[in-house]
Amino acid sequence: MVAMGATPIALGIAGILFIFTALTYAEGTAMFPEAGGSASFARHGFNDVAGFTAGWALMLSYIVTISISAFTIPPYLGFFWEPFKESPIIGTVTSMGIVVLLMLINVIGIKQTSVLNVGAAILDITTQVSLVIIGFILLFNPIVLFHRIIDNWPTTENLIFGIALASIAYTGIETMSQMAEETRQPEKKVPKALIMMIVTVLVIFAGISLVSLSAMTPQELASDWARDPVAGIAAHLPIALLCDILKPLIAILAGTILLIATNAGLIGISRLAFSLGSHKLIPVVLSRVHHQFKTPYISIILFSMIALLILTPGFFAANVFENMGALYAFGSLLAFMFAHASILSLRAKKPELARPFKLGWNIRIRGREMPISAIIGLLSTATIWIIILITQPYCRWVGAIWMVVGLIIYYIYRRKAHLPLTHIPKKPGENIL
Amino acid sequence: MEFNKILVPVTGTQADDEATRLACRLTKKNKGKIWAVYVITIKRSLPLDAEIEPEIRKAEGILDHITSVAEEEDYEIETDLLQAREAGPTIVDEAVEREADLILMGVIYKKRFGQFSLGSVVPYVLKNAPCRVILYHQYAT
Repeated sequence: MVAMGATPIALGIAGILFIFTALTYAEGTAMFPEAGGSASFARHGFNDVAGFTAGWALMLSYIVTISISAFTIPPYLGFFWEPFKESPIIGTVTSMGIVVLLMLINVIGIKQTSVLNVGAAILDITTQVSLVIIGFILLFNPIVLFHRIIDNWPTTENLIFGIALASIAYTGIETMSQMAEETRQPEKKVPKALIMMIVTVLVIFAGISLVSLSAMTPQELASDWARDPVAGIAAHLPIALLCDILKPLIAILAGTILLIATNAGLIGISRLAFSLGSHKLIPVVLSRVHHQFKTPYISIILFSMIALLILTPGFFAANVFENMGALYAFGSLLAFMFAHASILSLRAKKPELARPFKLGWNIRIRGREMPISAIIGLLSTATIWIIILITQPYCRWVGAIWMVVGLIIYYIYRRKAHLPLTHIPKKPGENIL
Repeated sequence: MEFNKILVPVTGTQADDEATRLACRLTKKNKGKIWAVYVITIKRSLPLDAEIEPEIRKAEGILDHITSVAEEEDYEIETDLLQAREAGPTIVDEAVEREADLILMGVIYKKRFGQFSLGSVVPYVLKNAPCRVILYHQYAT
């Protein structure tokens, strides 16, 4: 609905920019296989203020991920009961119910089988790839597609906003970085996983957007199928049998995957909060663990409540999805900027550090090797971030307020704890890293 | 049967004491090595290296107690505190890494939904262990 006919192009450009970010994360995660992602890189590359700022921006992204994922479940379930999709009240209540349920599951610490997660992911990827292949065979029409792209070309502002929103497709990068500490041989496995993710996302999302635009007009896609485009493709298949099989399958699979994504967001933010708390970047109370359940119940409950707050406009506003997407882009692009900048800073200040995965294609600046991918990544993410800040009032104000509130909390906390603002001196014998 | 390297996973139950004594007696002749390990399981909502002070203190207390039980048998054992998502795979990995020839686990009588239950860790270790496994079942009157 933002990039309209240029959706495949926006996804493609976002994918290229994402490759630079993934490469940066590959080097950073291999160096620091710990929870924290770009917050960890920033803390090592700069200081605690930078670590906090990146972490706080990431928290916003995680919270919005929870809201967006939960928000897009009811439309797919609309296959079984139409009000899930058609009624904003029923849809939003359902989304909120999902967040509350997952909050309780994570506070109690109910074990979630990895078999379900992996199984659902494999089945979902297989279904989407199959749908793309079927769609290319039955629906793809290059002439229609070309005209739909040209006739519905967005404004430059909307195209850039579309590229920013497309970053939601690559939301797994931070999660992967968080998982590095419990991966065997992270310096090898994480870069491989990131590359696989790039290929999978690019192929599937580009394929889906191309097939969608062949099957539907951008207006139809932006209105009837805005929140469940994959279901839209299945609904337009000309073979009734395929429709009958794929529509319920997609409803179940998409619902499952989005539920897993919502849960992943909740787990991600609670781990991040604990990590930031353990480095004294946020009040330690957010790291408090329940004496019986052994879970960080305060951060889980708090961030679930904020996610519910973000969902509230779903009762009234039609463009809530767009606003949530903009907010996500605000947080994630800021975090990505810090990641790129931190890698460059570490190359400049600590070139001697072990880099199990070192980026190639470097240029020499003042005797230091600087990866071109990180430079391009920093410039491009910063440019897009500034543009959406200027053009999107919702994310400008909500994002700015979030960051200002966070920095105030940081300042007050560090002062009350009698800790310096920029870094805590290491104790003798303490590992520098 | 001769055992030179015995891994004793402990959980803080009464069965651990008897399992430790049994391990000491089994390996005394060969003057083998005994490792007592305690696994702190970390929920997925926390980072794997999360330091949960109450759990660490509890684990250290249990391992200190096991060390004193072994000293009563005039034996010196090594203890190790581990953190993991799941205890079963961690115990198996430790046995592989240390090339243990026996895993000796103390098991207390537990019921689940009215039926006797070994839980999830013991069956996993029995199924995947790279060596012999002895279960010491604490008799409940």
